[in-house]
Amino acid sequence: MDNQILSIGGMTCAACAGRIERVVGKLPGVRRAAVNLASEKLFVEYDAADLPLSAIKEAVVKIGYEVLEKPQSGTVVIPVGGMTCAACAGRIEKALRRLDGVLEASVNLTAEKAFVTYDPKRLRVSALRAAIEKLGYRALEADRADAAEEDRLRKQREIRALWTRFVIAAVFSVPLLYIAMAPMITWVRLPFPAMLAPMRFPLVYALTELILVVPVMAVGHRFYTVGFRALWQRSPNMDSLIAVGTSAAFLYSIYNTWRITRGDYHAVDALYFETAGVIITLILLGKSLEAVSKGRTSEAIKKLMGLAPKTAVVFRDGAETEIPIDEVEIGDVLLVRPGAKIPVDGTVLEGHTAVDESMLTGESMPVDKQAGDAVYAATLNTNGAVRVTATRVGGDTALARIIKLVEDAQGSKAPIAQLADVVSGYFVPIVCAIALVSGAAWYIGTGDVSFSLTVFISVLVIACPCALGLATPTAIMVGTGKGAENGILIKGGEALETAHKVDTIVFDKTGTVTEGKPTVTDVLPAGTLSKEELWRLTASAEQGSEHPLGQAIVYGARAEGLPLSPAENFTALTGRGVEAAVDGAAVLVGNAALMEERGVALPRAGVNRLAEEGKTPMYVARDGQFAGIVAVADVVKPSSRAAIESLHRMGIEVAMITGDNHKTAAAIARQVGIDRVLSEVLPQDKSSEIQKLQREGKRVAMVGDGINDAPALVQADIGIAIGSGTDVAMESADIVLMRSDLMDVPTAIRLSRRTIRNIKQNLFWAFGYNTVGIPVAAGVLYLLGGPLLSPIFAAAAMSLSSVSVLTNALRLKRFRADREEARAV
Amino acid sequence: MKKLLLCALCAALPLLAACGALDVIGNDSVTAFDEMLNVLPAAADGDTWVLTAPDGAAAFVWSGDFGKTDAYDVWLELDAAPFTAAGLDPARLPAGMAQGRRLVAGVSLGAQTPAPETSASPVLSYGQIVTRARTRIGYHAAMDHFGVDLDGGFMFEWARDMTANDKDIVFVLDPEVFRRAGVDVGTVEGWTLATVETMDEAGRPVEVEKLLKPFDIG
Repeated sequence: MDNQILSIGGMTCAACAGRIERVVGKLPGVRRAAVNLASEKLFVEYDAADLPLSAIKEAVVKIGYEVLEKPQSGTVVIPVGGMTCAACAGRIEKALRRLDGVLEASVNLTAEKAFVTYDPKRLRVSALRAAIEKLGYRALEADRADAAEEDRLRKQREIRALWTRFVIAAVFSVPLLYIAMAPMITWVRLPFPAMLAPMRFPLVYALTELILVVPVMAVGHRFYTVGFRALWQRSPNMDSLIAVGTSAAFLYSIYNTWRITRGDYHAVDALYFETAGVIITLILLGKSLEAVSKGRTSEAIKKLMGLAPKTAVVFRDGAETEIPIDEVEIGDVLLVRPGAKIPVDGTVLEGHTAVDESMLTGESMPVDKQAGDAVYAATLNTNGAVRVTATRVGGDTALARIIKLVEDAQGSKAPIAQLADVVSGYFVPIVCAIALVSGAAWYIGTGDVSFSLTVFISVLVIACPCALGLATPTAIMVGTGKGAENGILIKGGEALETAHKVDTIVFDKTGTVTEGKPTVTDVLPAGTLSKEELWRLTASAEQGSEHPLGQAIVYGARAEGLPLSPAENFTALTGRGVEAAVDGAAVLVGNAALMEERGVALPRAGVNRLAEEGKTPMYVARDGQFAGIVAVADVVKPSSRAAIESLHRMGIEVAMITGDNHKTAAAIARQVGIDRVLSEVLPQDKSSEIQKLQREGKRVAMVGDGINDAPALVQADIGIAIGSGTDVAMESADIVLMRSDLMDVPTAIRLSRRTIRNIKQNLFWAFGYNTVGIPVAAGVLYLLGGPLLSPIFAAAAMSLSSVSVLTNALRLKRFRADREEARAV
Repeated sequence: MKKLLLCALCAALPLLAACGALDVIGNDSVTAFDEMLNVLPAAADGDTWVLTAPDGAAAFVWSGDFGKTDAYDVWLELDAAPFTAAGLDPARLPAGMAQGRRLVAGVSLGAQTPAPETSASPVLSYGQIVTRARTRIGYHAAMDHFGVDLDGGFMFEWARDMTANDKDIVFVLDPEVFRRAGVDVGTVEGWTLATVETMDEAGRPVEVEKLLKPFDIG
């Protein structure tokens, strides 16, 4: 199965999205087709052997929408230095055009820039620069329009085009509305040209309105071409409603204009040109605002795309060469200078630096990197220059995978969206029926064609389901984007929706609640030894040890800057400890059994406390005398307690699952406030423990490192992989936390709850708006002595509904992660 | 879009070119005026045409030659007696309105002399008013009347279709002018004080008090 994401143009409402899904979904070989109205993307999973991609594109085009192709050509702007006159510009243009692969070249002398459109397959930017420099000018670093930039520019063009259309429509609609409404406003005497007085010059009045409305309808011609075509294909959409509504107003007005020419001057009171014009104008305004808001919903992905550097410095043939990022290959050795971004994923070969990985993980503190450490594309080298061997390039880098993951998530649908999909599929035909029935009923009841037409148009216009179509995808886009900004990768709408229902969270202990590596927690000297001396002595003896506990003591001592002495006659005593000669003294480090075996008398005080705290005491004897205890434990992460408190505040029960004995596990659980301990569980049994919880009726999220916890992550309702965005965890979990900070767990749950609440608000308003708006437009209130909704107000309300849904979704951008809160705790 | 704009422009151009034909009210008012004169002929009086009400108490007068008429080119002449009986103090009327036993209210439309054949026909003479002062010709939708606005709330109206209207001609006065001159406007013999719905110059519906003298002549 192949997956493709196609950019679709021309969609206006949920009915359009549903129609594309239905048509593409029915193609043989297509397994899944999902359209995101907000991002205007079609996600299609299909069998490329049965169905070429071109057939999918053709099917989309056939039903009246556009498949926006990425341009085959590239565009580059090269700043050029050294030009003095127009002849210089002409000379450069000529030289560039002569190059094979250059499609268009123009040089702006004033801006000192060469704008070149070229075929990247036949020509490199370096060749363009070389051609300029060959003429004696300076070609500076080029600005290439990359995919993200092209997408941004396309969106900008679309917004500008919509805005221009709106402005043109407004220029004609404002006088049209004035002419139509001024004679009706009796409480204030608005200036009005005598030559247009409807009861003196009715035909001039009607024709003036006609002349003003035609340009408005011309700029809104898309509503008619798409709307009537959809109607013709028996799949009406929002455009159909607008097209039918405004056409009815327009044609009825044309008929009344004809009546005026026949001497029926009363027909001047039944002109609805302004209704058609103002509806189109307001909808264009709504669409313009919608386009701006839609652009903001995908800012997160644009930010991610914008992170990638465009060039890399590689060592080739012993020299440093700057090449486009696309040309970097696995195994290339790259130079990353201080202040530069790491161009691709790689391993530090040489040098020492600190790298700011906040753009990937959200972690603000730079991470130390030295030879052997992994570095990731788009992260920032903050101080030392390093040489890096490229290990992953192009679409395989962590950044590219994150972008893909977020893109997929933003394109996916939450189960809650299905309701909107089902409703919007039936919505437009039902609205058409309601409009016809209510219009006919009012005509039968009153015999007034104008009145029944007003009702008919109002129902059609107010019932446009665009707010319904935008309610879910916009919130998911903003929610998942906000998560990505905070290092929380939510893999799809379903994960987002399920996460908000979680009532129990099970944490893996090692590496999740705890740091995952033993650390010296207590140094308790006996007799006259100082704390430092005991630690130094113990670490010196353990230098040759390969045991993790021994290594933790050595690592800790070094980190404390304690000078270690050489150990002689080192012997590892399997399962018990080590012995060695340090500074001429016989040092024994090990457990109680070893001490007993060697006849070293041990104190009882303090040892039980250490065990209760989950710590492992290492007894130390010097020359056969007890010298003290060095306790080692896998310490809890600084954020664990705050995270669990935060989850408790959210009403979530927290459990911990571990292979450790109950005493140790309980000690850790007490430290961080965990409610339930599942101890002595073998890795292969973790998923069955999750199942047990699920059988209790709980919605369980499992938080683990994503490798040994993989079955449990899959079994849980939500699997949350913590601590790595670069390994297999990204594949197995529903939510991936880029950092090892447990505070991201409540943040993810909170984000999920906020997003789902936002979706529900959006759906409430979209449904509520239509539920209230349609009866009002159909004249139910009027029947009861209330007001009748004017089609113009219906259009304004309809446009506002989409904008209000988008604005509500954009409120999610104000979401803040729990990190600051955690520090306060 | 360009095509659509072009089509719109093409459609609008002939309409604009036929601007004269667009004045349906002006043109139809001439036809209706002619039909009215067929029933109630106007009398020639020098350079003017006079349409006298069947009761003789009011007349609508219009000039055949604007160059020759002095104060007014279109006006109403009213018998002053009923107003005097209702308390009129002629000195309190606007200047020039009280002319002996007559009350006169009208407007001047210029000094242009028309072609002789125009002056010779009452209908063509009326057509001069439409041509010279089109904004004075209106349509009273509530009554289905055409009318000539003589300023100050004074009008003369005639039915578009006399066969379907019981008020074929109506002399319309502004009662306020007379009220200020001491007239008890509710008691002027032969005149009816009424509140009527009409439209102002911008076409806004307004309700105003009028003194009316309607006749069913057809």
